[in-house]
Amino acid sequence: MTIHDNIDNYLAADLHNELSDKERDALHAHLVECAACREMHQENKIMNKVLEKTLTTEKPDPAFEQRMLAGFRNRNPRKTGGIAKLIVDLMRLRATQITAVAALLLALVQIGRMITGEGASVSRSREISAEMNERQDFKKDDDAVGPAVGGGLSAPMQTKVEDKPDVASFASKSTDLNRPESGAASDQLQVQPEFRDKAVARSAKVAPITAPQSTGASENQTATPNEGAESSALPSAVANRKLIRNAKIELEVESFDTTVQKITAFVNEERGYVATTSSEKQANGKLRGEVVVKVIPENLDRFLQKVRGLGVLKNQSLGTEDVTKAYFDTDSRLKNARVMEQRLIDILKTKTGKVSDLLQVEKELGRVREEIEKMQGALKYMDAMVQFATVTISLTEKDLEEPAAFLLKERAQLALYAPEVEKVYNDIKALASPKTQITNAQLDRDNIGRISARLSILIAPGESEGLIARVKAMGRVENFQVQTERIAQGGTGMSENAKTKRDKVELNITISREEQEEAYQQSSLRIRTSKVDERTKELRNLTGKQNGRIRSLSFSRDPDGREFANVSLRVPMRNYNALMQSLNSLGKVENVSVQRQDRTGGQIDEANAPADLSIQIYSQGNIVSHESGLFATLRRTLAQSAAAIMWSLRMIGVALAFLAPWVIALVAVVWIGKRVARAGRR
Amino acid sequence: MDFNEHELYRAAIHGDRDAFEMIIRTHSRRLFAITYGILQNREEAEDAVQDALVKAWKSRWRVRDPKKFPAWLTMIARHRARDVYRKRRLVPFSDDMTKPLEQESPTNTGTESLDRHVHSALAALPEIYRSALMLRYFEEMDYRTIENILGLSNGALRGILGRALASMRKQLRPALASLEQS
Repeated sequence: MTIHDNIDNYLAADLHNELSDKERDALHAHLVECAACREMHQENKIMNKVLEKTLTTEKPDPAFEQRMLAGFRNRNPRKTGGIAKLIVDLMRLRATQITAVAALLLALVQIGRMITGEGASVSRSREISAEMNERQDFKKDDDAVGPAVGGGLSAPMQTKVEDKPDVASFASKSTDLNRPESGAASDQLQVQPEFRDKAVARSAKVAPITAPQSTGASENQTATPNEGAESSALPSAVANRKLIRNAKIELEVESFDTTVQKITAFVNEERGYVATTSSEKQANGKLRGEVVVKVIPENLDRFLQKVRGLGVLKNQSLGTEDVTKAYFDTDSRLKNARVMEQRLIDILKTKTGKVSDLLQVEKELGRVREEIEKMQGALKYMDAMVQFATVTISLTEKDLEEPAAFLLKERAQLALYAPEVEKVYNDIKALASPKTQITNAQLDRDNIGRISARLSILIAPGESEGLIARVKAMGRVENFQVQTERIAQGGTGMSENAKTKRDKVELNITISREEQEEAYQQSSLRIRTSKVDERTKELRNLTGKQNGRIRSLSFSRDPDGREFANVSLRVPMRNYNALMQSLNSLGKVENVSVQRQDRTGGQIDEANAPADLSIQIYSQGNIVSHESGLFATLRRTLAQSAAAIMWSLRMIGVALAFLAPWVIALVAVVWIGKRVARAGRR
Repeated sequence: MDFNEHELYRAAIHGDRDAFEMIIRTHSRRLFAITYGILQNREEAEDAVQDALVKAWKSRWRVRDPKKFPAWLTMIARHRARDVYRKRRLVPFSDDMTKPLEQESPTNTGTESLDRHVHSALAALPEIYRSALMLRYFEEMDYRTIENILGLSNGALRGILGRALASMRKQLRPALASLEQS
């Protein structure tokens, strides 16, 4: 392409001084040759000047930038919303966005887990069990360390330090000896693995130093195993032991009183005293009692030997309780409390400080004194217990268990069925007399009108047979039971001398209406006939003839033209067979089933017992039922398709229920994201 | 691109107001050149620049690459100016305003009529031509910068400026002739 063809471009670039040297030379060479282009060049030059002149006037003034800035500041005032802005700025970073989405998903999963109650609890329990294992390991180690170190440094000891200041000072003293390698004892209040290791390493050195001093302090729970070793090493410790001895003896003796006298004599010999005696007379005139005796511990064994000779030894136990530790603990605590008391008194004496502080001190002093008294009491009690051994002797006279008399107790119960419950109930109540006492009478009528009554009667021994006979005559008796019991009084077992007495007879009666009585026999059958209505009437007559009663009757006709009459009736058993015979005259008897309930216990008046019959008299209906045929089929098809549509709707509902939470969560996330983005833009 | 400038754009994108104000100081004139090129009216052009700046600040987070920040700023200004231009054309009385001007023109003195001629010649040019011209004549930018701002190649810019001048020359020839005579 030549310069001439592109002269406009070249001219413009030349004016704007944007041509390379080579290009400019080429252009100038061309301008020399070409008159037309030269003219254009001239014109362009003039126009350039005009343009420069014209457009310079249009140039923005020097304050333009300031105006722009001011306008910008006016329309975008600096926000001071710190955190919101920070979050918005953060949300712009891709990393933050990803983290936020991840956190949201995680939170959703966690919420789901929480709602379903799955997962979280499992991992928790696993953690706990792990923790437990660790604890057990700790404990094992502690046990290993404890005996070796003695009382001074084992882990249980460390935990005790807090509530026993004197022991604490002792413990820290003993650790002070080893301070270069161990560090302060107070640092080791928590049991740490490193500490345990150190303790093991140190135990060999510590043991000889601490042992002589640790007699008092080592009496903690873990120290029991090494008690024996310690006492053999230190015989003097035995003398200081505080032991409470007590014994229990059970003896069978001929006579309670003589034995007690003998025991008293023995006690005086052994420089003791009888603390308490108690005795109790049984129904058969024998005595049983207890004697509590205090003797000096040294004489205890001799005393027991003597007492054993007084009768037949049934049971003996001898116990020793070591209260040394408790005693010295209390003792040292008492000392501390005394020091504390003195200090508080000093504070009160100087009387500096605020009144409220002094009051506080006063209060504290009261508390400390109370504590001191308690501890003193405890020490005194322990002293007393140690000073004397307690022997508890239980004495029983021979043949204590023999009964004094026998009582013949008779209990009768019967169920009465009568047409009128209330009348019978009142009749029985009228029988009451001094020798026939009604202890409980109750008449119930429930919400469906059933009536029943319950009576309990106590009858003097002689009267019972006659009265029961009279009651039985009042209705149909069912389930009559008599129970006789021989009760030994004042002991168990047999006795040749004991007399037998008849007690009052207890009679329980329940009265119900006859209809409520459960049938002795239940039968059901169907009779097919063409004239249901007529046959039902006939059946009614038959029932009347056989002394029976119709209990319910219902009649129905179904769409197919079949008629049903359901009759339920009750007849006495003796007429049952006759009625069944006569039923054949009504039509074809079908589906006969008979059920008889065996009643256990009690006699049954079989001839009068009721028998229930439920009879269905029916006719056959139309030949073609309403359930077949064209319309029925159509109807059925329609119903089925409607059901299918309903089923699919339900399935859609289920699917929606499954998806909805996720869709909601997703929409929420998108919405929040959009809101954040929009907030960022503003 | 200068490293400092790059940092400045990045800071502005991340919400540093001071950085953005710095950019306003350095870039608003060329934005004005572009809007003026489209609108041919100082007040409207200034408003358009103002709007464009505010809009840019609000949607600054949309720019992922700081390098593209100036081009993006230019684009916003251009769109804004076009919007204004379109609205103006919808308002009918602007036509009425131009007509009396043309009728009055012969009575005007030389320079004023020349100005008017220049303006009408400019108005006849395509928008990109005018923007290039303005950047050249207002800001006296070299071609490289103009290319950067408008996103053109060197050849394209030369062609544009060449055709722009040629077209104006043709339109202004009578006026220029009278000017030479006078």
